[in-house]
Amino acid sequence: MLIVVILPLFAGILMPMLPFRTRKAMLVYLETVVSINSLLVLLLLLYMPEGTLTLFRFTGNLSVTFRLDGMGAVFAGMAAVLWPLAMLYSFEYMKHEDNEGSFFLFYVVTYGVTMGIALAENILTMYFFFEMLSLVTLPLVLHTRTREAILAARSYLYYMLGGAAFAFIGMVFILVYGTTSSFVAGGVLNMAGIGEKSDMLLLIYVLCFCGFSVKTAMWPFSSWLPKAGVAPTPVTALLHAVAVVNTGAFATMRVTYFSFGTELLRGTWAQKVVMVPVIFTIVYGCSRAVKETHLKRRLAWSTISNLSYILFGVVLMTPLGLVGAMAHMLFHSFMKICSFFCVGAVIYQTSKHYVQEIDGFGWRMPKIFCCFTVSAFALMGVPGLCGFVSKWNLAKAAVDSEMPLAYVGIAALMVSALLTAIYMMDIVIRAFCPVKGSDAVDDKNVKDANWKMWVPLAVFVAVMFYFGLHSGPVMELLEGMIY
Amino acid sequence: MQGLLLISIGLPAVAGILLLVLAFSEHLRAVGGTGVKHMRLYLFVSVMLVASVLLATTAAWTGDNSVVLFRLIESIPVYFRVDEVGRFFITIVSVIWLAVGLYSVPYMKHEGGEKRYYGFFLLSYGVLTGFVYAGNLITMYLFYELITLVSMPLVLHNGTREAVTAARKYLFYSLCGAYGGLFGIFFLYRYCGSLDFMMGGTLDAAAVRGHEGILLMVVFVMLMGFGVKAGMLPFHAWLPAAHSVAPSPASAMLSAVIVKAGVIAIVRVVFYVIGTDFLRGTWVQYLWMTLALLTVFMGSMLAYRERGFKKRLAYSTVSQVSYILYGLSLLTSEAMAGALFHVAAHGLIKCGLFLTAGVFLYRFGYTRVEELEGLGKEMPKVMWCYTLFALGLVGIPPTCGFISKWYLAQGSLHSEIPVFSWLGPVVLLVSALLTAGYLLPITIKGFFPGEEKSRENRKVHSGEEVCQGKEIASSMLIPLLVLAVLVLVLGIFPITLFK
Repeated sequence: MLIVVILPLFAGILMPMLPFRTRKAMLVYLETVVSINSLLVLLLLLYMPEGTLTLFRFTGNLSVTFRLDGMGAVFAGMAAVLWPLAMLYSFEYMKHEDNEGSFFLFYVVTYGVTMGIALAENILTMYFFFEMLSLVTLPLVLHTRTREAILAARSYLYYMLGGAAFAFIGMVFILVYGTTSSFVAGGVLNMAGIGEKSDMLLLIYVLCFCGFSVKTAMWPFSSWLPKAGVAPTPVTALLHAVAVVNTGAFATMRVTYFSFGTELLRGTWAQKVVMVPVIFTIVYGCSRAVKETHLKRRLAWSTISNLSYILFGVVLMTPLGLVGAMAHMLFHSFMKICSFFCVGAVIYQTSKHYVQEIDGFGWRMPKIFCCFTVSAFALMGVPGLCGFVSKWNLAKAAVDSEMPLAYVGIAALMVSALLTAIYMMDIVIRAFCPVKGSDAVDDKNVKDANWKMWVPLAVFVAVMFYFGLHSGPVMELLEGMIY
Repeated sequence: MQGLLLISIGLPAVAGILLLVLAFSEHLRAVGGTGVKHMRLYLFVSVMLVASVLLATTAAWTGDNSVVLFRLIESIPVYFRVDEVGRFFITIVSVIWLAVGLYSVPYMKHEGGEKRYYGFFLLSYGVLTGFVYAGNLITMYLFYELITLVSMPLVLHNGTREAVTAARKYLFYSLCGAYGGLFGIFFLYRYCGSLDFMMGGTLDAAAVRGHEGILLMVVFVMLMGFGVKAGMLPFHAWLPAAHSVAPSPASAMLSAVIVKAGVIAIVRVVFYVIGTDFLRGTWVQYLWMTLALLTVFMGSMLAYRERGFKKRLAYSTVSQVSYILYGLSLLTSEAMAGALFHVAAHGLIKCGLFLTAGVFLYRFGYTRVEELEGLGKEMPKVMWCYTLFALGLVGIPPTCGFISKWYLAQGSLHSEIPVFSWLGPVVLLVSALLTAGYLLPITIKGFFPGEEKSRENRKVHSGEEVCQGKEIASSMLIPLLVLAVLVLVLGIFPITLFK
């Protein structure tokens, strides 16, 4: 279990020391490391080893400990599937950029850190890797070294550290009031010890929730994510649409369901306080996406909105809500990474960054835009693709909770679906049906991307269809891990 | 017989996709079609269309078929079942599709992009078949959304700025409506025994108790949502825009059939899932009736003021479809029969009207009403067909429009709802008057243009090679004649449909 965390860390750190004669050798090395690690993770998931593994202890019950449970397994499995594919894609993409070495170093290290979060057994371990993730992804945002990138990296860092500080407060309280620091389904708070302090604990929960959800870019902490879009596409796609932001969502799930426990929280003012910004973000993110004309930033806003779907599932504080949230976390990763990679391919091939510049590209880059269309449909929630399944589960959970605020949330989901249709289909329509007379169609230099780029996309599309048409097994798995 | 049902949905869809792939690859290689290829294309499309129609209708008339395709989510199967409404609707769809298919041959040759057009033409037939045979709400929703997605390219076919804008408007309005519907489905899943369609509804009374208020709200949202596609106020703005820029045969399909998808969806929700008892006498019913009547009146009024011919017809659709919605909102079986009959009547008539509009557009490039003066002399057959359709839409016997309006008015008078029972027929009559006012002058001016206009020289716009001296190619005339005959036959022998 330890290996899957350590291997990418070391492989990444070793990289500058190894003498690679050609670029190809380096790429082969990287892909091998990542693939082996993914295989190991999948093997782990297959056997689901019981028991915990303590790396070291600080004092008393503070230790860095790993354990694989259902939720972690889903998260780890997702990362394990996505990483090698994203790696393949970035080999092609990064050809145009400088400093490939340092890029790949951090890209691989991040893999290990993400695994650390997935496998964390207690809140301290999670917090440790959570901080680390902010730090190792910082150089990736900084990558291009432009003024813009530096500013973005700075705001990224401030937001992350601020969030972590709030999360730290929550952690301390859990250590004090909890029976143990481990994650236990249903929460670890010592009910007897709380007594009259429940209001304070609720406040702490709200702080802690906000702290972790900075990483999911919940409003009002959302502005770092679109800014971070200056990073190369593989970073924005894998990290800022999937790994980093999902870590935030994953962490909120952990604290809500496994540390504080829903028993304490459900129906309290704290639940309402956190639900309101979540619902607001769902609509807010989409509206900003509609307004945004920069392709990557548009998708970044879309991510903000979609991550709040996940948080919405979390704050419903019912097992069904958690299932919906996990499902959306899983499915959204595939949808969003697919659309990001498509946009990245467009940027790579044509260096066009804005929506109005892509008129007629659909006919020049059919593979890429077909994949993009599928991911657009999935994000909109067309039945038959995976987006519908998770939305269905979220909405079902919300209806079942019978909270008026949750009904508002469903309405927000629907409004957001419409806005999603607007900002995604806008791109699709432009690409395939340019207004007559625009010159972009004749741009012969625009070519479809090569196999390294479209193979990962094809895999994502297949996955979206598979989960959309045959969601039974995966939903069962998710339900099984919670009950 | 289960396989038949699936094939009837799958065949046109697959054929359509095949054509689209061909069109796509051709576009990439940038080669144009030649004459021989045209023949092959027509042969393929006609064989596929006829085969699908045969399959769909046999599936409809060979007893109660049902088949579960697979499970989308554990508790939600994609489930098809043939029932009365489906059987009825697929018949209309098939007739209209055949007529439009024949008509499209010369028309789309002139318009271009034929492979793409026929691709979506076949695809939408398959999707519609799936839609009408859907056995539960989720399956219906799936196909409902697909209808929007596959019919949108028909709207933006000619690729002008206007068309693209209209297509977007269409897409976003329709999706907005679909999401309204989905919002409701989430709740119905909770409060209904099952989402399968069953006459009389499946509402679980025990679960509903105490939640009536929220459920009524939800039903209202669903009505508004599905009403978007039927062009009900206040969400009608997309309809005139979209239906007037599409190529004429496509407008005919959109106006005659696709808008009815919204109607069918409402029928399913109200009569087959929720049940009329729950809604009768609630504020939802009254609001629904008010909106429907308002739309009937406003649609006619807007059509009366409109000078663009196709746009006028589109506004007329707004008004006429709300006749149907009004009939449904009365929640009685008599009015529902009238409403469903109007689905057929309006479908045939509006299809015919758009096809005649297409004839004028195709031959002379005329788009505005005043340009049509004096055309009766040159195109007597087409003008006579037009007149018959116009009379049908006004509701003058012996056309089928009369029958449906008769039943709608009867149903309204018998419903014993205060005010509305008499207000409804009055509004319908006023609207009929307006309909006469915006359709019939075209006939009058067409045959009696007055002195100076009749001598005017007309410039032929296109289609000279296929017409060869006749007023119009026979492949365009035949569909018009067939539709006209059907309008009369249904008016004289309405009993055939009332089963």
